[in-house]
Amino acid sequence: MPAKTAAATVTYLEAIADALRAEMDADPDVFLIGEDVGQFGGAFKVTKGFLDRFGPERVVDTPIAESGFTGLACGAALMGLRPVVEFQFADFISCAFDQIINNCSRHYYRTGNPIPVTFRAPFGARLRAGPTHSQSIEAYFAHVPGLKIVAPATPEDAAGLLISAIRDNNPVLYLESKYLYRRVEAPGPLSLDPVPIGSAKVVREGTRVSLLTYSVGVHQGLEAAAKLAEESISVEVVDLRTLVPLDVATITASVNKTSRAVVLHEDARRHGYGAEIAATVQEECFWRLDGPVVRIAAKNTPIPTSPQLEDAAVPQLPEIISTLRKVATT
Amino acid sequence: MEEEDNMANPRTGTRTRKPKAATVERDLAVRMFEVMALMRAVEDRMVTMYRQGELLGSLYTGHWHEAIAVGTAAALRAADVVAPLHRDLGVHLWRGMEPWQVMASFMGKATSPTGGRDGTLHYGRLDLNIINPVSHIPNNYPVATGAAFALRYRGTDGVAMAYCGDGSTGRGDFHEALNIAGVQHLPCVFIVENNQYSYSTPLTLTTASADFASKAAGYGIPGEKVDGTDVFAVHEVAVQAVARARAGDGPSLIEAVTMRMHGHAEHDPADYVPAELTDLWAKHDPVEECAARLIEQGFLDEDGVAAVRAQARATALEHRNKVLGMPMPEPDSEEERVYAS
Repeated sequence: MPAKTAAATVTYLEAIADALRAEMDADPDVFLIGEDVGQFGGAFKVTKGFLDRFGPERVVDTPIAESGFTGLACGAALMGLRPVVEFQFADFISCAFDQIINNCSRHYYRTGNPIPVTFRAPFGARLRAGPTHSQSIEAYFAHVPGLKIVAPATPEDAAGLLISAIRDNNPVLYLESKYLYRRVEAPGPLSLDPVPIGSAKVVREGTRVSLLTYSVGVHQGLEAAAKLAEESISVEVVDLRTLVPLDVATITASVNKTSRAVVLHEDARRHGYGAEIAATVQEECFWRLDGPVVRIAAKNTPIPTSPQLEDAAVPQLPEIISTLRKVATT
Repeated sequence: MEEEDNMANPRTGTRTRKPKAATVERDLAVRMFEVMALMRAVEDRMVTMYRQGELLGSLYTGHWHEAIAVGTAAALRAADVVAPLHRDLGVHLWRGMEPWQVMASFMGKATSPTGGRDGTLHYGRLDLNIINPVSHIPNNYPVATGAAFALRYRGTDGVAMAYCGDGSTGRGDFHEALNIAGVQHLPCVFIVENNQYSYSTPLTLTTASADFASKAAGYGIPGEKVDGTDVFAVHEVAVQAVARARAGDGPSLIEAVTMRMHGHAEHDPADYVPAELTDLWAKHDPVEECAARLIEQGFLDEDGVAAVRAQARATALEHRNKVLGMPMPEPDSEEERVYAS
C-alpha cells in the first residue's frame, strides 16, 4: 500500500478517504457499510468513488436500518471481517444503541471472541444543523467498557487514527468532525502510517496553563494560545486525540508542568467528557495545582439551529481566551 | 384423526395441521431422537437443580421446543453458523456443546463458556459456530445476517440460522434484519418459535397478523409455517430453506408453532395460561411423538426408545455431578479481558 498520498494538500475529509481506501486496498477483509455510502459516495462524499473501486460486495448500501446494519457488522466482525460502519450523522447512532452497548461492547468480555469493527460518526456542531444533527456523542459511549473512542483534530491524525481503528481488534468509535471536513488541510503528501490509539499529543508547548481538548477544540485552542502569546501568556495545548483509553501520562506531565488546567469541548458541560478529565487531573495532580480545573463546554441545552442561538450555545474564541487568561493569571 | 387447531393465532380461527412429513433415514432419525431426549433430560435435571438451589438465578427451559431446536440444527452443516435462543438447548447439544457447560453457565462457574463473566442462558461457543445470545432478543437476528454476509464474503456456501420467539418479532431488529437480508439476498434462515406467550403476553396482544410466516411477504422472501412439535416436519422445511440459502437464492422465514409448557422461567408459575391450552398441548409432546414415529418406522423398538431415554437421564445426572465441584472464577480476574489485544 502507498505510504503517502500524492496530493499537494489534503483536507481532513480527504485524509479520512485516503486512509480508508488504503486500508481497503491493503486488507480484503475490510468492507464499508452504511446508508448512501456506495452509489452516492456518502452524504458528505467521504467515500466518493469507493463503489467503483471496490464493488458492491465491499461497499454496501443499506436500507435505513442503523440497528440492523450495526448488528450485521458485528456479526461479520465476529467471523473475522473488519467492517467500517458509517453513520450518516453521529446523531443516528442512537438507533443502534442496543447493538453497540449490549452486543458489541461486551461480547469480548463475555466470550473472548473479539469484534473488530470501526464506527465512523460525523459529529459536532457549528453547521446550523440543529438539535438532531449537531450532537456530540462521546459522553454516552465513553461510559461503556469495551469501546475505544478516538476524535482526531488534524488530517494527519484523521488518517493515522482511522488506520489504527480499522486494525484494532476492538470496537472503535471514530468521531470525525464534520465541521473540520473541508476547513482544515495538511500539506501533502500525507503519511498513512498508523497513529497509536491511546496517545495524546502536545500540539503547542507552554508554561502557564494546560488546555486539554480534542477535535474542533484543538484549533480553537491553538488560535487562543497564539492570541495570548501576544500578552506573554504561555498556553500549552494538549490534543487528547483518543478519549478511551485516555492518555493520562501526557495529561499529568503537562499539568504538573503548568500547574493549571482548562478543559475544552463542544459537548454539553453537565456530565460531559470534560468532567472525567477534570476528575482525573485532580486525582493525579492535586498537589501541583495552583487553582481549580476549569471547564469550557457547550451550554446544557440541545444545539439550536439559528446562528445566533448556536453560537451562544457552543464555546467561542472570546470565552476561551478570557477563561485561559483568567486561569493563567490568578 | 383430524388434529385440533393448534397452529393458529387465536384471532384467525381454525387451521388444520399439515399431514405428517416424510421421515428421514434411520441413523439421522435416531440421532435426532437422542438429542431431543438429551435436551429434555438435561432440562428436567436442571429444573431439579434449580429447585435444590444449585443454580444462581432462574432457569430458562425449552420444553416442547425440542423438535424445533433439533429439526433445524440437523438441517445444517458444522461450518454453518447459528444464533440460537434460550429455548434451543438442542441446537447446542447437536453441535457438540457439553451439558455440563450449560449447567456451568447457570451456576456462574469458571468453566462455563463465558468463564462466569456471563451466566444463565447467555452461552455459546464460536468454535462450534454458535453465537452467544444476549437477552435483547432478537438482537441476534442482525448479528446472524452479519455471519451470513461473512460466509458469502469469504466465498463459502455457508448459511446462518437465527432464532427468535413470537414476542421478539415486535422489536425493530426483527424488521431490520429481515429487510436487510431480503434486499441483500443473504444466505440466512430465520426461525420464529411461536410458543404463544411472550413472558405473560399472549399472541392476541403481540400481533394483529394472522401468523408470523406471512410477515415474510413484506420482505419479498418465502415464509412457511410448520408444526413445531413434529421434528421431521420442522426438519423438512428447514432443509428446504437451508438449500435455498446455500444455493444463493436468499433468506427464508420459518414459523414453528409450539407451546411454552413451563413458565417464562422456572420462577414463573405461568398461571396466566389457560389450563385447557396446556392440556391440549400436553397431548403433543415432541419427544414422545418422535419416539412413536421411530417405532412406527421400525427404526427403534420400545426397548430401544427406553434405552435412549435412560441413557439421556444418566448423562444428565453424570454431568450435574461433574459440574458441582468445578471452580468458581477468581475475583482478581474481574478486570481481565475487557479489551482484545
